[in-house]
Parts: sequence; structure tokens; C-alpha cells
Amino acid sequence: MVHALREIRRVLVPNGILIDLRPMLSNWPIEVVSAREIRETGRIQDLPLGLSDDNAANQSIAQAEQSGWFRREAEEFFPFYYAWDSPSEMEEWITEEWEDFIQLDEESKRVTRSAWALGDADASVRVKVKMLITRWNKE
Amino acid sequence: MTIQKDTERNETKYLHKFANFAGKRVLEIGCGEGRLTWQYTKETRLTVGIDLEADSLRVATIDRPSDLENKVYFSRAMSEQLPFSKETFDLAILAWSF
Repeated sequence: MVHALREIRRVLVPNGILIDLRPMLSNWPIEVVSAREIRETGRIQDLPLGLSDDNAANQSIAQAEQSGWFRREAEEFFPFYYAWDSPSEMEEWITEEWEDFIQLDEESKRVTRSAWALGDADASVRVKVKMLITRWNKE
Repeated sequence: MTIQKDTERNETKYLHKFANFAGKRVLEIGCGEGRLTWQYTKETRLTVGIDLEADSLRVATIDRPSDLENKVYFSRAMSEQLPFSKETFDLAILAWSF
């Protein structure tokens, strides 16, 4: 990622802006949601590869900042929601798309399935992903 | 399997809070199928989205509205070796590159 940051700096005009937008693993909450209520039913488990990727990205950004390539101007976290109609669809997605980075434990699966099955007719399931957005200015 | 992403549209809100796209030349690294691209590109002067996944880029190109054909482009490229001259862009987005 350091090489990418160097390349981005090269193609940006002086005082150009870099927006870094990425998810940060942090045992994302699982929620069963209806118009009436939002209920947390478990937490995603972070896997070593995902955590290692986050650390590598953080280190690359820190190196770019220390090298004077970019100056940090603003930074915030915000929630990004992935939503599914049912727990089985969520489980399928996580297994297919995120299996290297995160996993679901059996207790979270059980509680989520139960809350969804006993919930309101409009209940759906979502994962609240922690997103980091940073604005960098090319030095 | 039905999935909805960014159901509260927070990503779009924060993207516009953090960047002014009006009249800018924008490079999006990791554009995928263009989900994020379509949230800002109408305001830009030029948008170039790059990704390594050819299939995703194909979807992005197919989805591109006809009125954006002359200012939104997608290309297969590596972020470590960008095929552009120096100082080509006003703004770069490093999107979901983890």
C-alpha cells in the first residue's frame, strides 16, 4: 500500500486531496431491525488475516504521513450497514465474501435466527460495519 | 440472495462532507462495479475508476449512464503503477482498499 500511496501522490496536483475510505474490523454488531425496534443479537468475530490487513494499512498510512507525502486534515468514523432479508442470507454472504476476514460464532447465529423468527413481520438483519474516512492533503 | 449496502446512505453523506467534487478531476482506486462512483460523479469534470477485477469493470461500464460517457472512464490498472502522468488529478479516492 505504501507504493500505491506514493503513486497517488505522483498523480495528484499540488495541494490535491486524497480520501481514504475503508472498513476497520472491530467485532461489528449484528442487529435484527424492524420499524418498531433495533436489537443487537451478537458480534462478528475478527480473524487474524483481517486484523493483519488493517494493521498493514494503518502502518502504510503512518509511513506516508511521516514521510511528508500527505497531511491529515480530517478524520471520522461512521457506520455502514449491510442488510439482508433473513439470517440465512447474511450467513451465506459472510461465508462467501468475508470468510478470510471475519466469522460468525454459533451463539450469534442462534440468537439472531431466534430474534428474527420471533420478530415483527418486517424484520431484517444487518451488520454495522465501522468505517473510517480520512481526508489527506498532498504536501 | 438479496443484500442492501449503505442502507442509511452514510457513506455518501460523509464522502460529500469530506470532499468537494464540483469541477474536479477524480481518480477512484478500487472502484469495483462503480457503486461508490455513481454517488459523486455527476459533479466532477472527469472521473477515472480503476480496479484489478475485469468483471467488475465490465459491470461498471455497462451501468454507466449515457450522459456520463464522455467524462467517466473505467480501466484495469494496479494502484502501485498508475498509468497516468504526474499531476493529472485534483482528488483521489482510495476506496475500500484493505
